[in-house]
Amino acid sequence: MMSQMIIRRIGIGIILLWVVSVLIFALTQVLPGDAAQIRLGQQATPETLAALRKELGLDKPWYMQYLSWMGNLFTGNLGISAAGGATIESLIGNRIGNTVFMTGIVALISIPLSVLLGLLAAMFPGQLLDRIITSGTLGLIAVPDFFVAIFLILLLAVSLGLVPAVSYLSGTEGFWRSVYVLALPIATLVIVVSAQMIRMTRAGILNVMGSPYIEMAILKGVPRKTIILRHALLNAIGPIVNVIALNLAYLVSGVVVIETIFAYPGLAKLMVDGVQTRDIPLVQACGMIFCCTYVILILIADIASILSNPRLRHPK
Amino acid sequence: MTTKRPGDLGFNDLSSMDREVIKSALRQGATRREVMGYLMASGATIAAAGTIVTGAQDALAMTPKKGGQIRFAWDLHGPSDTLDPILFTSSLDYGRGRLNYNNLTRFREDLTVGPELATEWEANADVTEWTFKLRKGVEFHDGSKFTADDVVYSMKRHLGKESLSKAKVLVATVKDWVKVDDFTVKAVMEEPNAELPIILGTFHFKIVKNGTTDFSAPTGTGPYITKEFKPGVRSVHDRNDNYWNTDHEGPYVEQFEAFGITDNVARVNALLSGDIQMMAQLDPKALKQIEDSPNAEVFAVPSGAYPTISCMLDKEPGNNPDFVMGLKHLQRRDRVLKVIQKGIGAIGNDQPVGPAYGADWCKAANDPVAFPYDPDKAKSLLKKSGITGAELHVAEVSPGMTDMCLMLQRECTKVGFNLQIKKVPNDGYWGAVWMKQPMNVSSWNMRPSANIMMTLAYKSDAPWNETQWKNERFDKLLAMARAELDASKRAEMNCEAQKLCAEGSGSLISTHRAYIDAKSPKVKGFPRVPIAAFGGMEWPEFIWLDA
Repeated sequence: MMSQMIIRRIGIGIILLWVVSVLIFALTQVLPGDAAQIRLGQQATPETLAALRKELGLDKPWYMQYLSWMGNLFTGNLGISAAGGATIESLIGNRIGNTVFMTGIVALISIPLSVLLGLLAAMFPGQLLDRIITSGTLGLIAVPDFFVAIFLILLLAVSLGLVPAVSYLSGTEGFWRSVYVLALPIATLVIVVSAQMIRMTRAGILNVMGSPYIEMAILKGVPRKTIILRHALLNAIGPIVNVIALNLAYLVSGVVVIETIFAYPGLAKLMVDGVQTRDIPLVQACGMIFCCTYVILILIADIASILSNPRLRHPK
Repeated sequence: MTTKRPGDLGFNDLSSMDREVIKSALRQGATRREVMGYLMASGATIAAAGTIVTGAQDALAMTPKKGGQIRFAWDLHGPSDTLDPILFTSSLDYGRGRLNYNNLTRFREDLTVGPELATEWEANADVTEWTFKLRKGVEFHDGSKFTADDVVYSMKRHLGKESLSKAKVLVATVKDWVKVDDFTVKAVMEEPNAELPIILGTFHFKIVKNGTTDFSAPTGTGPYITKEFKPGVRSVHDRNDNYWNTDHEGPYVEQFEAFGITDNVARVNALLSGDIQMMAQLDPKALKQIEDSPNAEVFAVPSGAYPTISCMLDKEPGNNPDFVMGLKHLQRRDRVLKVIQKGIGAIGNDQPVGPAYGADWCKAANDPVAFPYDPDKAKSLLKKSGITGAELHVAEVSPGMTDMCLMLQRECTKVGFNLQIKKVPNDGYWGAVWMKQPMNVSSWNMRPSANIMMTLAYKSDAPWNETQWKNERFDKLLAMARAELDASKRAEMNCEAQKLCAEGSGSLISTHRAYIDAKSPKVKGFPRVPIAAFGGMEWPEFIWLDA
């Protein structure tokens, strides 16, 4: 049952990847100018444009360009960046590590933190602690991430000098040193993603708390703590893991602003750079990675919710 | 030399406050000439002013120290970063190039060139051949010897239809490069060009090792060895202790790290908190913040770079001369300089050469400007043209561009002319809008000489002739000047060309910019060449860290 579902999901994922690649290709064709035009910019002459287009293979018809990209992909060759001539592997290589590292640390801190705070808020709905948590998180959701980032830089790096303002790893740092260098972007992202997860956890649990079997448990005299931890939380896991998965995917693909402000070389900024330079191989590679991340994370979330909820294992 | 007369003041006779004012002016980038100008304006004699400035310069000068590490952050970087000289785009590329490689010639602060990998050069009688004698005993970082083969290979990469070189228009008239012997090369040209040695001092004409095709970790002869290069991430450069230049003790700094912080605010914060020691492209809005901080100071060099509004003369409405003249009379050049550029820069005269070009700038042709602010005259000219409105396409291609256009729009409204501003994204601007829409904007960096600048952007058949102004006499003057080795005759032709261009072109050039960067006060010894950011990116072998 479960393995069937996983195989079907992987199949859908592959089709999705293909669709995304076609879409990305089509959209990059619609943008004004091609990689040669952008790379030469103000310095373009018809002659250099023609020479560069030939070098990059942009003089071929669009379907040939797409097919040759597909062909390369199947032989495990991601191609050459049209913007600078470096291999896509070398551009993506260390950025994947950076992105995974940061996402990992942020997840390690923010997931337990938000589940805990969400539980606390749900345990005492309407009381002072709940009020503080809900209004605090609402405020943080409303504030844009770059504002949080600049504020933390001004306070902790420029005024107090506690942590560096740019998150810049040379690759030789140990684990704790890396965490220190990345302290500000980690703090910013934890604040940004936790707020949403806390509210979702609280809402999910309170939602379950209204159902008849919880009422039954209350009537039986089960203590509120036990009800929440044993009955409500397990049933609320489905929506909570889905929100967690979406937030993790956001950490991989959507943190352009944070990467820009802290000069942290990650994947999200790379994709934006790729779009700006019409670097189709690079945009495609990033697109594939982001799509895979979403497919895998949502798959994991679904598996987790099925495991936590026996009813979903036996659909009618 | 100036001599001090009895009764004149020396630097140390001034009050400590006056001393600080002069020292800080010098530190913040005023040249000796500029400071002497201030002093003489307030009544000092030339001799006294000279003595005072020399004293202040001595007080500033200290013996350079060796060692230390400098991190510098640029405003642009990405996957298009490259170490291939013919493809250099950003000034970050230029800086990395200057760290890793050398040119044949090197720019001095007055925009003449001196020897680098070439020790001497001379032209034949009709200036169609240049012969360069090369420096002996220079080694690449990998230990191989530098010879004529490396020069011929590097230079030929700019020639021919298939060349991808971004600077090939500068050497389009060079037919061939010939090796004469191991340490002599010759450039053979189709037409005379007295400025070839100057062109070869610019960023794209770095000498790479013969046969290099992979530029992911290229060797060079430069003052620093590239240890690591990741496009869009960072590069690391270690001091080359085997550097050929023994005229000075440099290179001084142990190691450079280069990367980009594209966000303006974040870049300033990184400098203020001491995480980096140099940052490019200071937003004029942050000038005060930098000046107030003990950790940072402004490094500004007035340059010939300029933002411009172009009316294409081959399209409506630019093909109506009264319309163009009318707009030119509506430029409030002094206000653009004061408000948008915070006073740093120079007044422009609708032609591309500014005072920063030194001897190439013709005062007689440009001061006063050809079309001063005159709303009444503008009103009657616009009325005569019969045109009541126009559309200007604007992208923020240089800082303050949009504000400048809005300022022009306001002046137009005052005289009853409807100038519509259409804001378009920077993304794809050069291919989709520039030189396509009848009225558009652009931004030019400084070029090494007035002739090169005017040839690139105003020669009748130039691919980048952005206003499509065509003038036979102007073209002829440019060609004659290139063939002329006599400086005073060349200056005369230069003057006439600048006058023609100011009066005839469709460009509205209100001001010339300065390159405004910022650095830690501990980093010292910057040359001040005005052709690119941070003193022409000539700093790598000269600057040092006063720890």
